[in-house]
Amino acid sequence: MAGLLDRRLWVVTGKGGVGKSTVSAALALASARAGRRTLVCEVNTQERVSRFLGHPPVGPEVSRLEENLWAVDMRPQEAMREYALMTLRFEALYKAVFENRVIRYFLRFIPSLQELVLLGKVLWHVRETRADGQPAWDTVVLDAPATGHAISFLRVPQVLLDTVPPGPLHKEARAMRDLLVDPGLTAAVLVSLPEELPVNETLELAEALRGQVRVQPTAVVLNATSPLRFEEGELRTLAPVPGLSDAAREQHAGALRSREARARLESGVGVPVHEVPRLFSERFGRAQVEAVAGHLAALVGRWA
Amino acid sequence: MSGAGEPGSGVLARALAARRVVVCVGAGGVGKTTVSASLALEAALKGRESLVCTIDPAKRLANALGLSALGNVEARIPDPVWSDAGLTPRAPLHAMMLDMKRTWDELIARYAPADVRERIFANRFYQALSSALAGSQEYIAMEKLWELRSSRGYPLIVLDTPPTAHALDFLDAPNRVLDFLDNDAARWLLTPALRAGKMGLKFFNLGGSFVMKQLSRLTGTETLQELANFMLAMSALNEDFRERARAVKALLRDTQTAFVLVTGAAVDRQDEAIHFHSILTANGMAPVAVVVNRVHTAPTAEDFDRARALPSPLQEKVLRTLEERATLAARDALGIAELQRQVGNTPLVQVPRFEQDVHDVRALAETARYLVGEASVSV
Repeated sequence: MAGLLDRRLWVVTGKGGVGKSTVSAALALASARAGRRTLVCEVNTQERVSRFLGHPPVGPEVSRLEENLWAVDMRPQEAMREYALMTLRFEALYKAVFENRVIRYFLRFIPSLQELVLLGKVLWHVRETRADGQPAWDTVVLDAPATGHAISFLRVPQVLLDTVPPGPLHKEARAMRDLLVDPGLTAAVLVSLPEELPVNETLELAEALRGQVRVQPTAVVLNATSPLRFEEGELRTLAPVPGLSDAAREQHAGALRSREARARLESGVGVPVHEVPRLFSERFGRAQVEAVAGHLAALVGRWA
Repeated sequence: MSGAGEPGSGVLARALAARRVVVCVGAGGVGKTTVSASLALEAALKGRESLVCTIDPAKRLANALGLSALGNVEARIPDPVWSDAGLTPRAPLHAMMLDMKRTWDELIARYAPADVRERIFANRFYQALSSALAGSQEYIAMEKLWELRSSRGYPLIVLDTPPTAHALDFLDAPNRVLDFLDNDAARWLLTPALRAGKMGLKFFNLGGSFVMKQLSRLTGTETLQELANFMLAMSALNEDFRERARAVKALLRDTQTAFVLVTGAAVDRQDEAIHFHSILTANGMAPVAVVVNRVHTAPTAEDFDRARALPSPLQEKVLRTLEERATLAARDALGIAELQRQVGNTPLVQVPRFEQDVHDVRALAETARYLVGEASVSV
């Protein structure tokens, strides 16, 4: 497997609470370390990625975090404004239109328009070029939002293609959809946990990505796994000592769940599963992200 | 850890005994469904008939509650489920899974005149509204709650809510729907069309005003036209529908409604819970308690002593396992302390992490003992 380094857009998806932002931060770090100009995009969040990497929040402007690594937190208001300005070209016109109550009302109810402009901004960065015509970014990491099903954000172009009649919005949606489904450009990384519900959701997400978004999942990251540590005989030895037995059985149950989750994901999604062992630390920060990046080296590919 | 002397115990027991509605809110992946089911189960055990309305239960939990084959209707938990768990409830427990799309369809079917109904169902904006519009899931959960609350006689309803990353999406949901129907701008825009409609014209033109022309450069004329047609159809919904959206909004602020905020314990996830808490509080819906779910308990000094007496290599394996647990417990304690600082007087109720996922009635009852303060997490 070639790894992620031959793709430009790395979409990291998964439900809330599975460690999506951690994996996004780790992958962005790995990309930057491999010498690639890397932009990590968060969408209307609490800005975890920059915080995890030990930097102050970046806000809605693209900001440099460290060597080869930039970050941006995209917000619907700003993204909508940029989109409108690109379409309408003049600030005065923008104001006349967007500061009109009727228009604002309309825009709220055009389904998923907010998501569309946010995703549109991400994809604009993917297409952004420098003066010499080379792509401005070697890697764009998208920490996809987890509102409801993670799929709804990525499905936005398709939803719009199905919803809005031909016109400018339709054309925009088609261009975005085409970028997303280009397997030479886009990689989709699904983050999961070794528990029943998250694994079910990952399987559904993979199917929805293939069926509804027509994006092939590239890899699964199984986060917070536990190693098989105890043998059955050892667990029986510990059985009379409640405190120790409970601790050992819980560890063992976690290990079995990890193994089962891996097997279900491998057969169900049909892509490589990369494990990130559960980290034991009181606080979560830069050191932990570095550790996660180390575990994901094989997924990224070349490791500088 | 949660307030000296009064560890939040009893606050949920009182809510279960006195309130008519308990709404569990919080980010995804924190065990909100389990907490909701445990609360309703506890009420039934104590003699208050209750209904838990869940959104997306784990399959084993759904099976445990006998929910496997049900769509959008309530079912009573059958007696064998209780007796198999060795429990004797003093009142019936009901459960249901909420089907979002179906609830929207039922709502339209009830309130739209027959000739308009099919136009709404066929409109592409409706299909998107019922599944894709931000806040529509949250709204429909509240809407179902209102229906259950007003048309069935359950003394207590516990509502599990969709995982919401942004607290405002949740609170804003009834406003969005009300706005859709009641907005002055919409009325102004649609008035000519409504008149035209009454005069028997099938279509109307959105007009050639400057702003509309500019807007259509963004969206295309047909998009605007179709959206306007949809709004026109929706505007035919009778006053009952609007009344209802207002009632849903009022129900959330009712004194008989209690909010319970559910969160995990780790410090790096507390930002969401703290944000949720402040938004709820600012909107006059302060949660009665914050449930901190899946708290790791620390091993005792005796545990370590006993481990050191074990032969190698078992000794090293057990010591390592205990050290890992101690780290997780310390991490959770940090998170809980931070949470308590941020939520002020709201009591925290801690539920320990169980060895197995909570997915049967027995485990729900065990969870409930912690929720109502009959058992507490030792730190």
